[in-house]
Amino acid sequence: MAALLAWLQGSPLGELMRSSGVWAYGVVNLVHILSVATLFGAVLILDLRLLGVWRRVPLAALEQPTIPLAVAGFCCAAVSGLCLVTTNATEYAGNPFVPIKFAAIALGLLNVAIVARLPAWRGRHADPLPPRHRGTLAVAGGVSLACWVGAAAAGRLIGYW
Amino acid sequence: MHTRFIVLAGTLALGLGAVPAFAHHGWGGQQTEKTEISGTLRKDVSLAGPHATMQITDDKGQVWDVTLAPPPRTERAGLTPGVIPVGAKVRIVGNRNSDPKKFEIKTVRVTWDGKNFDVYPDRL
Repeated sequence: MAALLAWLQGSPLGELMRSSGVWAYGVVNLVHILSVATLFGAVLILDLRLLGVWRRVPLAALEQPTIPLAVAGFCCAAVSGLCLVTTNATEYAGNPFVPIKFAAIALGLLNVAIVARLPAWRGRHADPLPPRHRGTLAVAGGVSLACWVGAAAAGRLIGYW
Repeated sequence: MHTRFIVLAGTLALGLGAVPAFAHHGWGGQQTEKTEISGTLRKDVSLAGPHATMQITDDKGQVWDVTLAPPPRTERAGLTPGVIPVGAKVRIVGNRNSDPKKFEIKTVRVTWDGKNFDVYPDRL
C-alpha cells in the first residue's frame, strides 16, 4: 500500500498536479464534487424508483437520463479523484476511511454487474411486473443506494482523519 | 404509500445526518491551546494539495509536519517557495495534533527574520 502511494505521488500526474499553480487542487476538487453529485443524483433517482417510489413513472423513462448520467459522473469522478490522490498520495497511508471508501465503490460496481445479469432486471419493462421481480429490483436499488451513500460518506470523512 | 414514506424519511435522515460533514473540515483533531515551536526550516513550503505544507526541525531535533492554510491563502500571506531559505531559523505558532505521538501542527503564524506570515490572522 505504502509503495503504491509513493509510486502514485511520484508519477507524472502527481508532478503535474503539484506544478500547476495554487488553484489546481481546488479546481480539480470542484470537478470531483460535481462528478460525484452527478453520479449520486442519478443513482438516487433510479434507486428510489426501484425501491417503489414514483411507480407510475415508467422505469424506461427514468433509465434514459439516469444511467448515462451515472456512468459519465462515475468516469469524471474517477479521473478527477486520481488527480487529487496523486498530489499528496502518501498522506493517505493509515487513513481508515480510504479502504472503506474503495470497498463501498467496489461493492457498488459489483452490484451493477450482478443486477445487469438478473432475470428481474432483464424483464424490468414487463407490465405488470411479477411481485418476485419487483422485490428483487427493490433489493438491488437498496444495496446500490447503501453502497454509494457509504462511498460518499467515507470519501468526505477522509479529510477529517 | 407506507413504504414510500419510510424510504423517503430514511433518505432524508441519511441526508441530514451527513450535513455537519459537509462543512469544511475544522480543527477538530487539534489541541485547542496554541503551541509555539522554534526550529529550522527542513523542507521548503509546498503550495500543492488541499493545504500548503512545510517541515521544520525543532531545537531538540524533532521533525514537525507544518500544515499551513490552503495554497491560495498561504500565497496571499506572502509565504511561497523560496521565501524562507532551508536551514533558516523560524518560529511557528499553531495548534498541534491532539495525538501526542503525531508531530503535526496546524499553523497560524510563521515568523522568520523578524517577519510574520499570518496564514490564519483570525485565529491568532
